[in-house]
Amino acid sequence: MTTLPGPRRLLITWASLMALTLISMASARLDPAARAQALPLWSAGLVLLAGGFKAHRVLMVYLNLRAAGSAWRGAFVGLLALTLTLIAGGYLAARWLG
Amino acid sequence: MSNDRALPNPGWGPLAALPGNPLMWVLILSELLVFAAFFALYAWQRAADPALFDAAQRQLDPLTGGLNTLVLLTSGLAAALAVEAIAAGRRRRARRWLGAALGLGAVFCAVKGVEYADKLGAGLTPETNLFFGFYYGLTAFHFAHVLFGMALLALVTWRLSTANVETAAAFWHLVDLIWVLLYPLLYLLR
Repeated sequence: MTTLPGPRRLLITWASLMALTLISMASARLDPAARAQALPLWSAGLVLLAGGFKAHRVLMVYLNLRAAGSAWRGAFVGLLALTLTLIAGGYLAARWLG
Repeated sequence: MSNDRALPNPGWGPLAALPGNPLMWVLILSELLVFAAFFALYAWQRAADPALFDAAQRQLDPLTGGLNTLVLLTSGLAAALAVEAIAAGRRRRARRWLGAALGLGAVFCAVKGVEYADKLGAGLTPETNLFFGFYYGLTAFHFAHVLFGMALLALVTWRLSTANVETAAAFWHLVDLIWVLLYPLLYLLR
């Protein structure tokens, strides 16, 4: 058994995950009038950043990847960054080509 | 050799440095790669027809998706606290946290079921258009993982051990991780 995060760190992580979810929902402007329009780029960026940071926290704290070697941490964070880059690339392509 | 013994899983070669069950990490990595491919496919298909995707996306309820995000991440906390409890030898507390994780998983399924019923009732099926093909395909694939994760949590509540709880919780966090990326992609980005 490796060193676990501990209840305090888990609770802080959970609170930050809740806050980031609410921030991304607010940033995505969910009122009906605003939903008819595309998000401003900064809002879309915030939604993606919040999602990426949440995924990072789930990996590092909930899954305890922080206890793994730096190579594995780098591999998973790299895969997460690649996934977010692909999503952001498709989103930006839709903005500029559509 | 002495360094290898200090690792969480000595004898597992390159996987030795990973916490918990190394095979679960292989599964997590492969699942992330599969979902990353689907996310990329969705993003690039959307780029080909953003008007269709945006119009279809407006028929989803992002508040329901957000509620399910809060529910699933709270369920993940309960699973992580179950690991803490079993590691400290508190078996009853671990069972209670696993029960809480399972209960919140059931809430996620109920909300998703209501959402599916609402969409299908409105005539929105996987054949409606490409967006709804992705919506049903991706969320149903994730939903299957939720059901499998709940079965695993129930199994380890019965066969309680540190290794079992740690392995089931790791799978449950994978379910969290995928949803955290799926929610903004399908419900928020437009």
